Amino acid sequence: MSEVTCNRCESPLEAGDLRCAVCGDVPEQLVPQVVGTGLEQTVLRCGQCGAATRYDARSESVRCSFCSGELKPEELTDPVEQTEAYLPFTVDRDGARSALRSWLGNLGFFRPSDLKSAARIEDLRPLWWAGWVFDAHARVSWTADSNAGAGSSDWAPHSGQTDMVFDDVLISASRGLSDEEAYALSASYSLGSALPELEAPPADATLEAFDVQRSQARERITHGIRRAAASRLQEGHIPGSRFRNIHVRALLTGLDTRRMSFPTWVMAYRYEHKLFRVVISGQDAQVLMGKAPISWAKILMIVAGVIITGLALGLLAVLFA
Amino acid sequence: MTAPAPHSPALEISCTTCGALVVVEEDLRTVECPYCASPHVVERPPQAGRPDPVFVLAFTLDREAATSIVNSWIKSRGPFVKSGLKEGVLERTRGVYLPSYLYGARAHANYTAKIGEDYTVTVTYTTTDSKGRTVTRTRTETRTEWRDLAGRYECYVTDTLVTASKGIGNAELESVEPFDLRALRRYSPDLLAGWIAEEPSLAADECRRTAQSEMRESIGQDLAAFMPGDSSSNIRANVTFSEEVSHLVLLPVWVFALRYGEDEDPIRIVINGQNGQVGGRLPLSWAKIGGTVLFSLLALAAIFVIAGLLS
Ligand SMILES: [Zn+2]
Ligand SMILES: [Zn+2]
Ligand SMILES: [Zn+2]
Repeated sequence: MSEVTCNRCESPLEAGDLRCAVCGDVPEQLVPQVVGTGLEQTVLRCGQCGAATRYDARSESVRCSFCSGELKPEELTDPVEQTEAYLPFTVDRDGARSALRSWLGNLGFFRPSDLKSAARIEDLRPLWWAGWVFDAHARVSWTADSNAGAGSSDWAPHSGQTDMVFDDVLISASRGLSDEEAYALSASYSLGSALPELEAPPADATLEAFDVQRSQARERITHGIRRAAASRLQEGHIPGSRFRNIHVRALLTGLDTRRMSFPTWVMAYRYEHKLFRVVISGQDAQVLMGKAPISWAKILMIVAGVIITGLALGLLAVLFA
Repeated sequence: MTAPAPHSPALEISCTTCGALVVVEEDLRTVECPYCASPHVVERPPQAGRPDPVFVLAFTLDREAATSIVNSWIKSRGPFVKSGLKEGVLERTRGVYLPSYLYGARAHANYTAKIGEDYTVTVTYTTTDSKGRTVTRTRTETRTEWRDLAGRYECYVTDTLVTASKGIGNAELESVEPFDLRALRRYSPDLLAGWIAEEPSLAADECRRTAQSEMRESIGQDLAAFMPGDSSSNIRANVTFSEEVSHLVLLPVWVFALRYGEDEDPIRIVINGQNGQVGGRLPLSWAKIGGTVLFSLLALAAIFVIAGLLS
């Protein structure tokens, strides 16, 4: 995408970047060529009247005090990011509806028996949510507490360093979805299906914008990388089976970030007089996350049953003692 | 091996507006023609040990805004500052582009530390109850088990700024940090027009040492946050740097001289030309502090005497 790559950490730079966001280096091509070999002497002149002008701090521009001409220096770039690609829906409206129905029917015993038949779908909308997809190599330095090697305390400290390769890791930039929802959906997408533009998005579709600036985006990506590394560390890198206080520092090389929009169905269904929200991946109807009512009557029944059985056993024990 | 400090000698240029001969002072990059007030930006030929600026952080506070910030800062100081300071006069107000190096490096640390892992124990103890009988009770206590931890840590350190000017030292620069580096612009003489811009006057080696010690300090802080456990102590780290980079940045600072007494040297106040942070502190009057302490002691003594007389 970008033509300039950092010489030091091999991360591609975004258009308008003055330095590498990963390591802070300034690629040779971006260093301004200030002087030749001799003495250069500049008086900045107004393009309109030729008078000598100065940089004005209040307006952050060069101003001519004679003709009030204004010359804006190079703009600062901390743009709001735009999506680069959309993934198409492969699950249609009916597919989403029937996925919800069958989910409602398979939630298990503690849900109301009439949940599937009495739930009414009140709202069903397509949403393209925003997310970053990154590739990177990372030298991960970590520390953590785990149960391995524990003494008097339940916890013992551990540390290590390991190289990781991240390919197509998705970090949510969404406002419409919670982090948990985005995380649950993230494995269901086929990134190869991405298109540069949407042909005819449905009229009721929401196209989420990346409403964070580039500088904030980078903070969130760094945070997302640490999280991704921390969850990978728990799969065999940190000894033991229970973990806490996982600290990660990642030295990245070749960090390549793409901005994409991911299709999802956002649904609301009503059961009795309450609304429940469910999100379904637009590319895999099996991947779904949502809330559902619990049947307190059934839970009460079980609790009562357990108490009665206990009492009966107690009584029997007393009688036969 | 120490490279000599760069030196940019005084120059004479002829004003392109009025033709007058104008002297550019040493270690300055800008000059205003004393005859026609044209602001010149002067770029000297390249010289070893004196790199060209790569970035400029432009001023966003003008003279008026900076002066009013300093005035209200002076008014808000405590009662113990030297007499006359609050009625002092601001003189020689100058907006200066301060040359500084923006440093970065890849940091490697081998560390060792003691990590405290807490656990609770139930302790049995004997005591006497309200009726004077000896009884046995229990309570839970939190204990800490100290474990050794050693490891390796690597990260990029970016955004370390150190002064390259003999005029404004690093402590003074630190007192007005942080600067918002998102507003960095590529160097262009336009941004300097009408302002004072200095050339670097400290040797690059010296700046590098300052930058390294600043980076060591920030790594020390990060290592403390990086430790697991309920607590940690004795963190020792052997830190080395590789892939160091540095770029010359011009930073906006307003410099004020506060004159407050006939035979007192004026006090320098530096403020961040981007966000208005005021650096430093005003000197305290030991006479005022001593007087207050003495007065309090006398008052206390008087109370004791009166109390003694009354009893
Ligand atoms: Zn880089
Ligand atoms: Zn003009
Ligand atoms: Zn002139």
